[in-house]
Amino acid sequence: MKALGYALGLPAALVAAWWVASDGSTNVFLPPLRTIVEAFRDVWFSDTFVRDVVPSLWRLAAGYAIALAAGVVLGFVIGRWAAPRALTGPLLAYFRVLPAPVLIPVLLVAVGIGDTTKLVVITVGAVWPILLNTADGVRAADEVGLQCAAAYRLPRRTRHLLVLRGASPQIFAGARQALGLSIILMVVSEMLMSTDGLGFTVVQFQRSFAIPQMWSGVLLIGLLGFGLAKLFELVERRALRWHRGHTGQLTERP
Amino acid sequence: MTSLLEIAGIGKTYRARERTVEVLTAIDLTVSEGEFVALVGPSGCGKTTLLKIVAGLLPATVGQVRFGGRPVTEPPPGLGVVFQEYGRSLYAWKTVRQNVELQLRHLDLSRARRRELVADALDAVGLGAAGDAYPWQLSGGMQQRVAIARAVAYRPRLLLMDEPFSAVDAQTRADLEDLVATLWKRYGMTIVFVTHDIDEAVYLSQRVVVLGAGVSGVQADIPVDLDADREQIGTRSSARFGELRTRVWTQVRRTPESEMV
Ligand SMILES: Nc1ncnc2c1ncn2[C@@H]1O[C@H](COP(=O)(O)OP(=O)(O)O)[C@@H](O)[C@H]1O
Ligand SMILES: [Mg+2]
Repeated sequence: MKALGYALGLPAALVAAWWVASDGSTNVFLPPLRTIVEAFRDVWFSDTFVRDVVPSLWRLAAGYAIALAAGVVLGFVIGRWAAPRALTGPLLAYFRVLPAPVLIPVLLVAVGIGDTTKLVVITVGAVWPILLNTADGVRAADEVGLQCAAAYRLPRRTRHLLVLRGASPQIFAGARQALGLSIILMVVSEMLMSTDGLGFTVVQFQRSFAIPQMWSGVLLIGLLGFGLAKLFELVERRALRWHRGHTGQLTERP
Repeated sequence: MTSLLEIAGIGKTYRARERTVEVLTAIDLTVSEGEFVALVGPSGCGKTTLLKIVAGLLPATVGQVRFGGRPVTEPPPGLGVVFQEYGRSLYAWKTVRQNVELQLRHLDLSRARRRELVADALDAVGLGAAGDAYPWQLSGGMQQRVAIARAVAYRPRLLLMDEPFSAVDAQTRADLEDLVATLWKRYGMTIVFVTHDIDEAVYLSQRVVVLGAGVSGVQADIPVDLDADREQIGTRSSARFGELRTRVWTQVRRTPESEMV
């Protein structure tokens, strides 16, 4: 209860301050929070939700899921065997520093403006932290645990799964970074090349000087990112409880 | 007694870039079915290397290992292992029971039989009530008991133990030694037990094999003719125990690059 109070205290105070300070504002670019909230209700609790929010969420989910699957599989292969690691080393070093949005103009020409382009942008941008972290985690797999698995003749598949599970703390760290990146890339790709979606809608409002509506879009994207990050944290805490215990970060003893 | 394990002319040279290290030279050793052999020698003399070659985890440079008559090229069926690093040999995301059961899942066993083996093994090491705990919720000694239970549940013909009790305190160590002695008799396994503790080697085994650093072959092979029923205080204070430990000591001390204290 006290923790909840601490967690919500500052945001609540800031929102209240914003509300009071902006109330009666006549600056068109900084409308009163009251107006933004009203716009929020009018814009997002309507069929705009289905038309723009659903496609955005779908792209985000699909792009992120592909990045996750591809990142874990490729990261596993690269982390586990020396040959693919040596082969891909320089390539990885190049791509890990290449900012994903530069792909947008390229893909626009190559693939066009459809959903595929946005999925490719999200996937290609978000796959790197997952891939690199998975490779690191897999490479650091405990030798003793692996030798036990080999001595007890566990099948190859089981041993691979043990390695992956052992690498799950790193995989989660990569997946967390990738989630943030995916949201950014979803919005940016929709701003630059789309006919629907959250990013597109915010830009449309801005171009038509619907400033409170534009702000409401910004607010929604922020809330979405926050909600997804919290959800991720929840899943991670459950999945990595053993790791906190193993590394002595868990005091309770059930 | 028939021989279960035959180590013939084993040599191992580690090669890394320009540096090559010859760790084992012309090791011959035969272990009979049901025997308890202790392997001692100064640290760095190649005990772990030899054990890994026997387990099929590491290829020898020369020589051959036969287990149950068959040449070992990969870990053979019927082999159990317990390493010193208990914290790393168990899987932290699995409960004690899941850790003990894992390798049984790939054997041709009924579910009921598997459960029975796991329950029996946990009882045998005194962890009957800890099946649902995670390894990291247990003390070091208890984690090593889990690793032993994992081996016992597997019903190995040969159990290889590499300095299993080096990382636990003295009292726990004595308890675990007696546990291993009991399990050896109860399950009729063959055990090869690596230790750098000469007293431990004499107390547990029927035979102490001494490896020397930079020495060709086995340095000494000393039968331990103590009573089958041993007991920490009585056995260790007997005159015969003292003579045997002195004999082993002398052999280990003869090793040129001895680092043993
Ligand atoms: N993978 C390896 N590469 C090179 N040298 C090794 C390797 N593993 C062990 N050694 C060397 O071989 C020697 C014997 O090691 P080990 O078998 O662990 O001895 P022990 O178990 O008797 O202490 C040591 O000098 C060690 O440094
Ligand atoms: Mg060793």
